[in-house]
Amino acid sequence: MTIRALEKVSVGQNGVGAFILQCIKMDIHYCDQSGSSRGMNSFIKSELSKFAALNPQIEFAVSPRPRKHPLIIGHYINGKQKSICVRNMHALQILKKVELLRDSSGEKTKKVNKPVTSINESVRGVWSPYHGNGMPV
Amino acid sequence: METRQALRPLRILFHATLPVTHTPVFRSVASRRHQSTASRTKKMLKIPPHPDFLTPVSGQNHIIYNPPPSTASVYHTPFKFLPKSDPRRQANLSQLVRSSPDLHPSSRSATALPPLTRKTEARERKYNVTREQVEEMRELRAKDPMRWGVLNLAKKYDCSPVFIMMCCKASAEHKGREKERLEAIKARWGPIRTEARNEKKKRRVLLFQGAL
Amino acid sequence: MLAPEQIFNEEESHESSEESASFQQANLPRKTLPSPHPDRAPRSAKLAALHARLSLSKKIPLQILARTLVDPSADAHPQFNNANLAFVGASLLQYHTSEWIVTRYPRLPMGIVFSAMNGYAGGPALLRIARAWGVEAAAAPGEKVDPGYLQYSREKPTVLVHKWGYARAEVKELEKYKWRRGMSSRVIFDDPFGNTVSKEPKEPKDPKDPKEAAELEFRQTRDPDNSEIRDGDQNAHANFVRAVVGAVYLYCGSEAAKTFIKAFVLSRTLDISNLFSFRLPQRELTRLCDRENFDPPVARLLSETGRLSRTPVYVVGIYSGYDMLGEAAGSDLESAKIAASINALKSWYLYSPPNVSLPSDTFEEGAAPWEPAYIDMGEIIS
Repeated sequence: MTIRALEKVSVGQNGVGAFILQCIKMDIHYCDQSGSSRGMNSFIKSELSKFAALNPQIEFAVSPRPRKHPLIIGHYINGKQKSICVRNMHALQILKKVELLRDSSGEKTKKVNKPVTSINESVRGVWSPYHGNGMPV
Repeated sequence: METRQALRPLRILFHATLPVTHTPVFRSVASRRHQSTASRTKKMLKIPPHPDFLTPVSGQNHIIYNPPPSTASVYHTPFKFLPKSDPRRQANLSQLVRSSPDLHPSSRSATALPPLTRKTEARERKYNVTREQVEEMRELRAKDPMRWGVLNLAKKYDCSPVFIMMCCKASAEHKGREKERLEAIKARWGPIRTEARNEKKKRRVLLFQGAL
Repeated sequence: MLAPEQIFNEEESHESSEESASFQQANLPRKTLPSPHPDRAPRSAKLAALHARLSLSKKIPLQILARTLVDPSADAHPQFNNANLAFVGASLLQYHTSEWIVTRYPRLPMGIVFSAMNGYAGGPALLRIARAWGVEAAAAPGEKVDPGYLQYSREKPTVLVHKWGYARAEVKELEKYKWRRGMSSRVIFDDPFGNTVSKEPKEPKDPKDPKEAAELEFRQTRDPDNSEIRDGDQNAHANFVRAVVGAVYLYCGSEAAKTFIKAFVLSRTLDISNLFSFRLPQRELTRLCDRENFDPPVARLLSETGRLSRTPVYVVGIYSGYDMLGEAAGSDLESAKIAASINALKSWYLYSPPNVSLPSDTFEEGAAPWEPAYIDMGEIIS
């Protein structure tokens, strides 16, 4: 009983063990009349069913948005949303945008200037000036 | 690069003959942070690779031993703590010979070990206090707790203060008196000292959690 | 918690769709269901997406996944909520987590084992797992909610997974007077996390007035002492994760359940060396060396700097004979020695044998025979 235990909760890293796709839902908005939605309409007709079948992890909601530009909104596990206006784009360009939303983690884009980010301890430990035999210069 | 390769044996020779002593001129140059020109500064900052990374004179492959300059991780079990069944123990039997001082008392003298933090560290545990003496020290402590404090009793019976504290219990009256005295001292502390003592307490908690 | 008449009503209300249609034809008032009808599950996009996101096998039907999302506080009927699945899942989770911890770190003290269990498979960890799966809670449970939402009610009581565990006779006194519980008694009597199993909240003596009963239950759920029930949010999410594990076990077998637990629970990172809080590290180390017939530990000064300055640093190593057991740096000799003793003790406790096999590995067909794992003598000062 001389040792007491502290309460800590394990930390998960996506992709270590199992990978969960961070995009959970995609709203796809189109307009029947306006010309900016022409590409979107053909995307919905020709590409969307294939794309949805390839990505069953994502819930797709297709709804009209009359007199507005076509829009894709991605919803992510961290609660954030990302939306892309796809006006005047043709179907293949929209497919690229949809793939971009699918592959996004939902985090804000930030500059990554370290090659590796890890929560694991370094193999060689934390450098200390009192250890190791320093090399004379 | 070629000149470096060519100069290598020479440098090794230099290192071998003058391993530690540097000429005073060199030291003064090294202590300066920059030279007159950029190229000279660059040249000065160019340090040779660690000797382990140089190919030996024989030109054969060799093992680089470069222990990390850090405290060992707690996940790295010391050899002594490995159980008999552990394969790492079998793989490193030379450690076993090294670690038992009674096998080779002469080969490794005690001077090879770092110094003790205190002289009392190395004392033998002696079980010299008898039952009668314990009774006696309890009597003394009960009779005059001011005269026979823990340290005095420890000196008298030649044992550790912890042992005295295990044997005797001060009376409630004495404890109260001591507490009052301490409170009076604490009351005189200013805000800075009080805060410093509080932080010391917090540091102690962290120390025992291994988080300091 | 639930009157028998209510259960009866519930059963009736979950009749097959044909019969309910005939009810409607007879113009009988149809009672609304407490949770979505299972027939709606295959048409829910959310549910299908969740099924795919967890890479669940096709053998697990969507109806079952929908059932794992219904907490007992939303639907009290045991055939339509996840209580039973969660119980199966909790046993599996606790079994696999405990065998994994104990075989990997055979020398851990029991308190640390409990804490590590809690860190991997306890309520807070499972809550985070459920959040990481992208499961959203419904605003209020009901028939019309999409079956892909987690359904629970904060107002109504839920079922704790370890409800069926052994409740100590003195559990009330334990809570009231804070009686001391020894570690060995925790192992035997308490749940896998070392917490007491408390009995269910008492039924109201006179549950004639349903409003009053509900009020009482509400108060019980908000009881500050009963933190498990109080934290209904966490409990519902945790029960969902447990229920999914249970469903995987029931439909795909034990191997799949083990893989699932490994992938989602045991792959998470928990630094066990951060769980320790010592009280008497030096005495404990001395006792350890006595027990194992090592030379008594002595503190040696490896290096120091600035002894007379404001910020001295001492690096102290704990030696037993010629072997260094642990080392640490500190701003004074005493604290450096304490820290070094703590490191030495941690390196004893965190010994991990190489190439361990788990007892559950032998469940497979054609598995290699069981090689006994390393078992430690036990705690140093108990």
